Amino acid sequence: MRNCEDIRESLGVWLDGELSLADAEVIRLHLENCAACDEQRRQWVKLDVSLKSLTESNVRQVDFEPFWRGVQERIAKQRAWHTELLEWFHSAFAGPGLAWAVPAVILIIIGVLSFDSFWKLRGQRNNFSAVESIDAHGRNVALLREDETKTTVIWLYQNQEGEDESSGENVETSPAF
Amino acid sequence: MNLPGRMLKRALLFSSLICFVAAFSHGAESDSQTVRVRIGTILASNQSDEIDPRLNAMKNQLKVMKYRSYRLLKEETKNVSWQGNAAFDIPGGRSLVVTPQEFRNKQLALKVRLQHGDKPVVDTIVRLNNGGNFLLGGPQHEGGVLVLSISAAAQ
Repeated sequence: MRNCEDIRESLGVWLDGELSLADAEVIRLHLENCAACDEQRRQWVKLDVSLKSLTESNVRQVDFEPFWRGVQERIAKQRAWHTELLEWFHSAFAGPGLAWAVPAVILIIIGVLSFDSFWKLRGQRNNFSAVESIDAHGRNVALLREDETKTTVIWLYQNQEGEDESSGENVETSPAF
Repeated sequence: MNLPGRMLKRALLFSSLICFVAAFSHGAESDSQTVRVRIGTILASNQSDEIDPRLNAMKNQLKVMKYRSYRLLKEETKNVSWQGNAAFDIPGGRSLVVTPQEFRNKQLALKVRLQHGDKPVVDTIVRLNNGGNFLLGGPQHEGGVLVLSISAAAQ
């Protein structure tokens, strides 16, 4: 059997009809036998009725017309372009989006800076050794790049007439390949 | 910490990591102190069909030339600092001076000068892969032709 204190705490819920049938029956039986709790119930009912009547009368007095008119005016009002621009900037560059924009920009910069050297490197690797400059001091030079064995050959030779004997260096009279 | 703050912290950490990796990878290339230059002097001729067994590793490279016989006359290795000169004696009163110039994109630029006595025979700048080689040939020697295998590796 629940005591009076428990019953009074549950009165509001009971009046709202939110208790189970069994609990509601326990409270109903208790109220039949307990005058004090029943008095409490009457006060709850009285308060409930008073509040309802007060709310309904006040709602009738509230004039919603100016409120709705203000809402419609704000919707219809054309906003200045700079206000919209400011709002766009605020939404685009605020919050987590900006945080990840920092590494993204760094990655793009590194990518752009690496692009040139990456393609240069690829080209050079495909061509094996790259001869950037050559001066054979009057002799002929043949350059061979052989794909299969990845071989670069610089070959010195001179014409059959054998010019440039002043250098004292004898080289072949034709390329070796 | 709120969500945007946490995201910002992660993003800044990520950015720092990217910068660190980029700086480290760039720095690693320029950290090399010396270059190991190896010169192999080979006598190519048609006097026989023999190929020196010590040249087996580069047999395929030598096949691009028309000679039938290849003999390793000399092999010499030197460590050279960047922009420093390494002089190698080549048979027949010749010398080869190699100057490593730069190391970029995993490739070395070598300045190479072949001299006969004091007279220059050839000056060239060649960019080759780290550890790679190229051949320089043509000077006549003892009934054949000298072929120099020039290789370099950053240390």
